[in-house]
Parts: sequence; C-alpha cells; structure tokens
Amino acid sequence: MASYLRLIGFGPTGWGDQLLLAALMTLSVSAAAYATGLVFGTLGAWGKLSGSVAARRAAEFYTTVVRGIPELLVIYLFYFGGSQGLTALARLLGQSGFWGLNAFMVGTLAVGIVAGAYQTEVLRGAYLAVPAGEIEAARAVGMGRLLMLRRILFPRVLRFALPGMGNVWQQVLKESALISVTGLAEILREIHIGAGSTDRPFDFYITGFMLYLLLTTFSGFVFRGAEGWSLKGERQVVGMRA
Amino acid sequence: MHPLFLADTMVKLLAGVPLTLELTFISVGLGACLAVLLAVLRASVAIGAWLVRLYVFALRGTPLLLQIFLIYYGLGQFAFVRHGLLWPFLRQPFWCAILALTLNTAAYGSEIIRGGLQSVPPGAIEAARVSGMSGILLYRRIILPLAIRQALPAYGNELVAMVKATSLASIVTLMEISGIAYAIISETYRALEVFICAGALYLLINFLLSRAVAALEAWLTPHLRRAGA
Amino acid sequence: MTAAVAVRDLHKRFGTLEVLRGVSLEAAEGEVISIIGASGSGKSTLLRCIPLLEVPDSGEIEIGGEAIRLRHRNGHAEPADRGQVNRIRSTLGFVFQSFNLWAHMTVLQNVIEAPVHVQKRPRAEAVAEAEAILEKVGLADKRDSYPAHLSGGQQQRTAIARALAMRPRALLFDEPTSALDPELVGEVLRVIRGLAEEGRTMLIVTHEMAFAAEVSNRAIFLDAGRIGEQGPPGQIFADPVTERCRAFVMRHLNR
Repeated sequence: MASYLRLIGFGPTGWGDQLLLAALMTLSVSAAAYATGLVFGTLGAWGKLSGSVAARRAAEFYTTVVRGIPELLVIYLFYFGGSQGLTALARLLGQSGFWGLNAFMVGTLAVGIVAGAYQTEVLRGAYLAVPAGEIEAARAVGMGRLLMLRRILFPRVLRFALPGMGNVWQQVLKESALISVTGLAEILREIHIGAGSTDRPFDFYITGFMLYLLLTTFSGFVFRGAEGWSLKGERQVVGMRA
Repeated sequence: MHPLFLADTMVKLLAGVPLTLELTFISVGLGACLAVLLAVLRASVAIGAWLVRLYVFALRGTPLLLQIFLIYYGLGQFAFVRHGLLWPFLRQPFWCAILALTLNTAAYGSEIIRGGLQSVPPGAIEAARVSGMSGILLYRRIILPLAIRQALPAYGNELVAMVKATSLASIVTLMEISGIAYAIISETYRALEVFICAGALYLLINFLLSRAVAALEAWLTPHLRRAGA
Repeated sequence: MTAAVAVRDLHKRFGTLEVLRGVSLEAAEGEVISIIGASGSGKSTLLRCIPLLEVPDSGEIEIGGEAIRLRHRNGHAEPADRGQVNRIRSTLGFVFQSFNLWAHMTVLQNVIEAPVHVQKRPRAEAVAEAEAILEKVGLADKRDSYPAHLSGGQQQRTAIARALAMRPRALLFDEPTSALDPELVGEVLRVIRGLAEEGRTMLIVTHEMAFAAEVSNRAIFLDAGRIGEQGPPGQIFADPVTERCRAFVMRHLNR
C-alpha cells in the first residue's frame, strides 16, 4: 500500500503531478468538446425543427451518420486528415503554407462533432416538450423574439434538456480517453505511459479508474443539482410504491 | 476521391467484418446472460443489490478503453494470473477484448433489463402467484418474458453501441475493421476516403442489425400489434 | 363437515391503519357467499388473505381443513412453508378486479399455464379441458387471441376460465365487474351465475347488490374491518337488522 502511494504521490518518484495535470487536460478537452457539441447540437436541432426540407435532411444525415460510426474513426479522420483538410481549405482561401491541427484541436473537434449528434436529439426533444401554450402566451403579451428566447424558451428547454445534457457530458468525459491515440497528455495516456514504464501496470490502470470515477461522480452531482434547480416551481410527483 | 482506391479499400476492410461481428456477438451474447443474472441478483438480495450497483457504477463511469487496457496490460502484473489456468486466454488480445466488452455491456444491459423488470405489471405477477407460481417458475414463465419484451428496443440500441465499441479492439492490435482502416490510413494518409469506406461499412452493419432487432420485436410482441394485423 | 374455506379472527393492519379487526367466516362446500361493504371496509383485504396475497397479522386460515402455517418474526407475519402456500393456492381460483391476464400469452395459453406448469398436468389434457371451459364461458373462438385485443368483458371471462382450469375447490372473486363498462357487466355476471348454479363454493366481493341478492346463499356486510351483519340475502338486502347495514344498502340499491 505504501509503495502504491509513493507511485502515484507527489514525491520525487511519484506520478502524482503528471496525473494531476493529465486530469486537468482531460477536463479542458472535454469542456472544449462539450462546448463544440453544444454548438453543433443547437444547429442540428434547429435544422431538424426547421421548415426547410433541405435543412431537415441535412440534420437527419448528420445525426444518423455520426451516431452509427465509431468515435475512433472520427478521431482518425481529424488526426490524419485534419491538417490536410485545413491546409487545402486555406489554399482555397488564398493562404499558402501548412495549417496544422494540434492534438487538442483534433480531440475537441472529433469528440465535439460526435457529441453534437446526440445533443441534437436532446435539444430537439426538450424543445418539443415545452408546452406550446407557454410560447403562445409569451407572444400574446407582446414579447419580441429575442426576449422570448431569453426569458421563456431558454429556461424551459433547459429544464427538459438537462438530464440528456448530463448524459452527453458523461459520454464526452469518457470519450476523451480515446483522444489519447493522438498523443494528447490526458489521463489515459499518462496512465498508459506510467503503466508501461514500471512493473506495476495494474496499479496505474486502477488509479485511472478512480480518477475517471471521481470526475464522472462529481459531474453527476453537479448535473443533478442543476436539474433540481431547474425543476423549481413544478409539482413533485410522489414516488409510487412498487 | 479515387474510385479505384475506394473500391480497393472497401475490399480490404471487408476482411475485418468477420472479426468485428465475432467480437460483437460473443460479447453481447455473454454479456446479456450476465446482465440477466445481475438484474435478478439486484432484485433479490440486499447485498446483491449493493454489489451490482457498485459494478454498474464502476463500469459505466469509466472509459471502455481503460477497461480494455486494465485487462490486457494490467492483469499481467500479478503472478497468480500469469501462472493461472486462464493465462493462455488472458495473454491474447482477442480474449481480453471479449472479456472487457462482455463486462462492459453486461453493466449497461443489467440496467436495461432492470427497467424491463420494473415494467412488468404487478397484477400479472399477482395472478401468477395466486395460481401457485413462485421462484424460478415465476421468473421463467411470467416475469422474464414480459421484461425482455419491454427491454428489446433499448437492447437493440446497446447492440449498435457494441458494434461501435469493437473498434477499440484495434488499439490492442486486433485487425477488425478499424484496425485495418488504421493500417491503410497510416500507409497512404488518405484519411477521408478510408473514413468514408469504413464509415459506410459500419453504417451498413448497424442498419442491418437494427432491422433484425425490429423484426425480432415484431415477432415477439404480437400482443402489442393492432388487432387483426 | 369440514368447511371449504374457513378464517378465524383475522387481524390486518397497513402501517397505522387497522383494516381487519377480527373477522371470522366459514364457507361450506357448495355455498355462495357475497361480501359487501363500503370502500375501505376491508372486504378485498379479507378475500386476499385467503390465498395469502396479504398475510394477516394474526388469525387462522383453513382451506379444506388444512391450516396454513404462519410464522411470526420481527413483528410481522409470513408463511412458514412456501411449498404449502403454493399448493393451496393452486387449489383455489382467484379472479381479480383488473383481470391480470398475462399479456404475452394467448387466451388458451393463459388458461393452460397453471395446470401445465404448476399442477404438472399433461399438456394435451390441459388443452382439451381448457377448450371445454372456454366454450362454457363463450370464448371458444378467441382461444388464439391476445388479451390486448379483447374487450374488458372478454378478458374477465378469460380470467374466470383461467381460474376454473385449475379445478379449484373454491372460487374467489374480488369485485369482478367493478372495472368493466356497464354494458359488459352482464356477460360476466351471467358466467358467474352459471357457476353458482353448478354448486361451486364461491366467495364474491361485489358492489352489484341485485346480482348478489340473486345468486348467493349468504351475504356478509363488512363494516370498518368487522362483520357488521350477516345472513340470508333476503335479510341483508331487503330488511337489514342493523342501522349501518340498512344505511349502506339503501344508498347502493338505489343506483
């Protein structure tokens, strides 16, 4: 036990500081990917709910394709092809030279685009769950579009979307581990390097387990708290006896 | 976008389909059996419930890739594993992947089946009890058939998720579809074209599987179809 | 002569609510007893205690002279012998208010399920008997239909057939028509009347006063967990002795 603590601790031979940095990296890339996912998800939901058939088809294509393909392939696409694509795009726009994507950006984009497909469904479902009457009432009192969006639509959609959004966050956190194939110094990569460099691989992987469990558990608390807040004003259904 | 390259890539990727399907079906099959056991255990004994919840928590809260690494790279740390009965299996990436995938899908599966168990109408169970059924007979004839029918759609989603999960086996050297895709990309650097081929292949597999599950659902639930259908 | 069904001094409470406060009754072979009373009077609980769907806190239950063995532990009661309970349950037929058919099985499969899997009878024999019973309740043409495709009255008749298929020594009906649309009540009552005329032992909890008056040998008025009054239907329904029974019957017979 003592040797384990020395291994992952913050002493001279300890991996503690690398693991801490790696955890921060996991959180950052996950946050960036999640934000990206929200952008794509909002666009996707908007497309699916829009009147234009083309927009609906495009959004449908996006979600079906992305949800049916392994995330690893998407990461490979951006990792191997991202720089190529970006450079080609830049050349089209008249810029020469090499435009590269670093590992962080690869991870953000790849995981973000995948998360966006799931967020599309979450946001679309949440929007449809808002009783139409509440929107009508807002229009009836003369609220402008922007005001209605901000004061009525946004909070109400959020209330229905939160559980799904929490699930997508958990998904993103775990998918960030796949970004390790690009060499990004997040948790799994550091754990893997540590495991390979000592004769105690199991100890490292178990530590990795605990780190991720800490992150997902803490996230769970935060989201459940947010859900509780978002349910304010609603009648609580008393639990039914099984 | 060279049609010849695309065709050639497709042929190469098809060689990985059997392994992808093998990994999927063996792990989902074993995982489903384990999931039923876990769900029943959770519903019966208090300590069982606690153990199952811990198991599900640990496996759903951590990345599958980490679980694969733990089994493939981590277990070798222990002498009793290296000298044990199972070592011939545990040193092979295929069986490590199967083990990791099975344990993972069992965690999600047990939650799905738990939902199915909870959806069984209490009245149906009462009617069975009052006819003298209990224990295994009750589970086998009434509870499980109704629970499984309810759980089918969600389990269909889990099957699709597992097909995608098998791609992680490529990271421990298995040459299923993603493994071959990676090899081609790192040789030719034509990421987009390989992505399109591999993606299309996965989409096709998932589409066919979803159809099969839908057909199974229809076959098992004539009681949910419209009358006279 | 041993009573077909006998309960002695049953007490049952749910939490702080005492639902049965010492109820005793005996049903002789071939007797049809109707049990009436207000909601919450304990009539369903009383009926459900007999096959031990509810376990009484104290009291005795005897089916055909055999006493169900109970055990008292941690302040609550439980059956001492699961095997005995299952065996006794398979000699009783219970019909629920909400039918409780098994949705994944056809009508025929519902009816033969317990005979084949609990009573271990050969399938061919069970099927033949089931088809005869379905004929009797008027559902012969629905044998391969699923409950979801049947009307409420058809489902309840299926439930009755299912109870009959177990060759029960007594039939227990828990408000068999309360969940049915009015126009479907008649077809179910007709079946129940037929069974009474066959001389079966039956205990019927019901709100259908007129029917109970016509079909039963004895009526029991349950009032707040105790037997308020019991006697021949002519007395209970037409000329009750006690004030509370009179008030109850007046209120319900005029519906």
